[in-house]
Amino acid sequence: MAPHDRLTTLLDEPAATALPDVPPVLAVEGLTISYGGTQVVHGVDLAIGRGQSLALIGESGSGKSTIARALLRLLPEGGRADGRAVFEGVDVLALPERRFRPLRGRSIGFVPQDPGASLNPVRTIGAQGLEAAALLDLGSKAERREAVLETLAQVGLDDPRRVAASYPHELSGGMLQRVLIGLAVLPRPALLVADEPTSALDVTIQKRILDLLSDLQADLGNSLLLITHDLAIAAERADALVVLKDGTVHESGATTAVFAAPSSAYARRLHADVPSLNPERYADLRAVGERRHRDADATPARIEVAGLTKTFGRGDDALVAVDDVSFSVPAGTTHALVGESGSGKTTTIRLLVGLETPDGGSVEVAGAPVHQHSRAELREARRHLQLVYQNPFTSLDPLWKVERLVREPLDRYGVGTRAERRDRVREAVASVGLSEELLTRRPAALSGGQRQRVAIARALVLHPDVLVLDEPTSALDVSVQADIVQLLLRLQAERGLTYLFVSHDLALVRQLAHTVSVMRHGKVVESGPVADVFAAPQHDYTRTLLASVPRGAER
Amino acid sequence: MSSTTNRSAARRAYGRYAVRRLAQAVAVVLLAYVFTFLVISVLPGDPVSNVLRDPQNNFSEQEIARIVAYYGLDQPIWVQLVEALSRFVVGDLGVSLRSNLPVSGLLADVLPSTLRLAGAALAVALVLAFAIAFGVRNLPAPLARPLRAFPSLFLSVPNFLIGLVLIQWFSFQLGLFLVIDAESLLATFFAAVALGIPVSAQIAEVLIANLDHEARQEYAAVARSRGLGRARLFTAHLLKPSSLPVVTVVALTVGELLGGSLITETIFGRNGVGNLVQRSVATQDLPVLQAVVALAAVVFVVVNLVADLVYPLLDPRVRLDASPARTKEVSA
Repeated sequence: MAPHDRLTTLLDEPAATALPDVPPVLAVEGLTISYGGTQVVHGVDLAIGRGQSLALIGESGSGKSTIARALLRLLPEGGRADGRAVFEGVDVLALPERRFRPLRGRSIGFVPQDPGASLNPVRTIGAQGLEAAALLDLGSKAERREAVLETLAQVGLDDPRRVAASYPHELSGGMLQRVLIGLAVLPRPALLVADEPTSALDVTIQKRILDLLSDLQADLGNSLLLITHDLAIAAERADALVVLKDGTVHESGATTAVFAAPSSAYARRLHADVPSLNPERYADLRAVGERRHRDADATPARIEVAGLTKTFGRGDDALVAVDDVSFSVPAGTTHALVGESGSGKTTTIRLLVGLETPDGGSVEVAGAPVHQHSRAELREARRHLQLVYQNPFTSLDPLWKVERLVREPLDRYGVGTRAERRDRVREAVASVGLSEELLTRRPAALSGGQRQRVAIARALVLHPDVLVLDEPTSALDVSVQADIVQLLLRLQAERGLTYLFVSHDLALVRQLAHTVSVMRHGKVVESGPVADVFAAPQHDYTRTLLASVPRGAER
Repeated sequence: MSSTTNRSAARRAYGRYAVRRLAQAVAVVLLAYVFTFLVISVLPGDPVSNVLRDPQNNFSEQEIARIVAYYGLDQPIWVQLVEALSRFVVGDLGVSLRSNLPVSGLLADVLPSTLRLAGAALAVALVLAFAIAFGVRNLPAPLARPLRAFPSLFLSVPNFLIGLVLIQWFSFQLGLFLVIDAESLLATFFAAVALGIPVSAQIAEVLIANLDHEARQEYAAVARSRGLGRARLFTAHLLKPSSLPVVTVVALTVGELLGGSLITETIFGRNGVGNLVQRSVATQDLPVLQAVVALAAVVFVVVNLVADLVYPLLDPRVRLDASPARTKEVSA
């Protein structure tokens, strides 16, 4: 049986997590999970040694989070787990709920994916912390309260008293994730299950949270099951890896082995699709724009932003969202705006496409100012300036079919005859690599990657010169992201499109942009050609950002 | 940002909010009064004169002149309105055309009975709704599933029918209370049950839907991962966020309680506001009706005002001092 072979190789591996004479903290054998009648996880095996860390890697729908839930016996209604999951010598799947409940929290801790949604919004942090402290069997309430404050300090929160008195909405995502980690480690569990603990966080925060998990593991000696979609994070943080796809293990073993020399086709593909591991993957396609950039002096800039400023609110509440931002983008190249949440990059592009009016400064697209326009002129300018949104799951009208979604801009601008419009739609859909069969589908019947292709086709159908891409791949899996990036680069090489690419992912920027502006608190702190900025960052913040990119470095 | 300045800013914002809502409430009551006044004034046939001139009523010419002068019926309409409003503001609701007694006195006689009934009915509704919701979430499935049908069942039975059934069983058959002694404790209780059951259905419906919603939230799973059992999860985590919208629902059901009390009072033979309204409609006693409309407006406005003022205190997420731009940018 293949799963057992895999388990044996895992256990035989010298650098693998479990030493032969020490039984693993957790050994999962033939874990099968189904919802209703549908099996989603098919016979998964894995083992975590005491004090070791194991990363479970997979894309959305691979079943990785489902496995985490099943180990904690927190599957939603209708979920069913079979097989064995032996934790400290006891098969937790076979225990009745009454016997398993004492293990939850006390022996197996859980760190969830979305810190913003994982604490009760109408109870204080302290009140929820006391629940975790109750698992320590301390005598008095004062001792429990003390334990909560201690753990909040331990996870690096500066003012534990204030944090304990706060409600979740009063804290940032990074602080909430620290709180959740603190509550999870407070009862000193032997195993910590962390389900994508950083996917909802900014990249610099991500690094700090992962560092915290590693430090705590070193201090407390717990084992860690880290669930992630990011191979680079997994390789950087875990002793062993299990690569999951469609509910089946494709590869597993010590990190050094799996990461350096993946043997399964899927793991190799996953490795190739992670931007930070393959900065030069699209060098050929990117070189086309690079040449245009070098000749930039000859051609006028396609986008010219100068001294752009925008303030929201007034008086004490005033917030300078965009503060004297300038950059220019030569035709046919990609300029990246990089920054974390609240850096002002989204406001900048809203100003650029005329959705907001600036307080000062100017934006010119193809030599024409965007803002001193009448409504009709602005409409005409937008024709050459199209926006592709971040989340294809929410940016497409769910009731419309693909054909109508792509055709809408043509209808709006009254382009051509009905037959000409139909041809333009087909051309646009073909150019993004979608088959014509999809024209009659609604968004719900498309995958995330297909949806984003539809969004790009919709932007291209008017034959614009400039595409503003607002984190176009951040809602997508890495393999889908790789396809979209390749598509964007091909379209740029073929049509000479100019891109303004907004992202928080520096590795992605390295792969596809030619010039970059790093934004922080509404200001551009550093800008220049991508190669220069990445090779020799001048500003501390840029260095922090670059250091935060997980590279899966050897441990 | 320090939390003390935050909190005091929040308190100031709450003060501004309370003052604003209070002013709105007063304005709504006054407008409701003006509106009923105007509606009655534009009604054809001048009902006041109709009553006064009705030979059966035997008003003498002096009496008619006195009443006409008191209401200023010989004055232009806007003068009448100003006078009526200025009387209303100081609590003078006029004189009943039928009994010649001050309307405020008539209302004061019947109001306590209705308030007792409506208050008891609201209590019954709340207890019943929370009991059903608790059962739905905590009982084993074979019991909980049929319990989910109760709210729709309650809602589909008219309350006069419930009232009649209750009287038939508990008064006529079991003799627990006397229909004649309508204000006795047990009689009030059963009247309140009749009135409260349909109201409880609306509250239970919202409560169950919210509990189901909250139970599916990520924080509920995370709380269970801290070792919480079903009952603790319900009381410590799910109940509060699920109950918050109930405040709004209760405020909205006040109208139902007032309207329903008219029917319930008739069936249970109680002498309440409903009874007074019924008599006044039959005899076109306009000052009384206008006072009742004003009273209903006051009750509705006060209850909703209380709900609006209490909600921000219960729900820490409601921020009254947030400027939209700031929330958008900073929380992004």
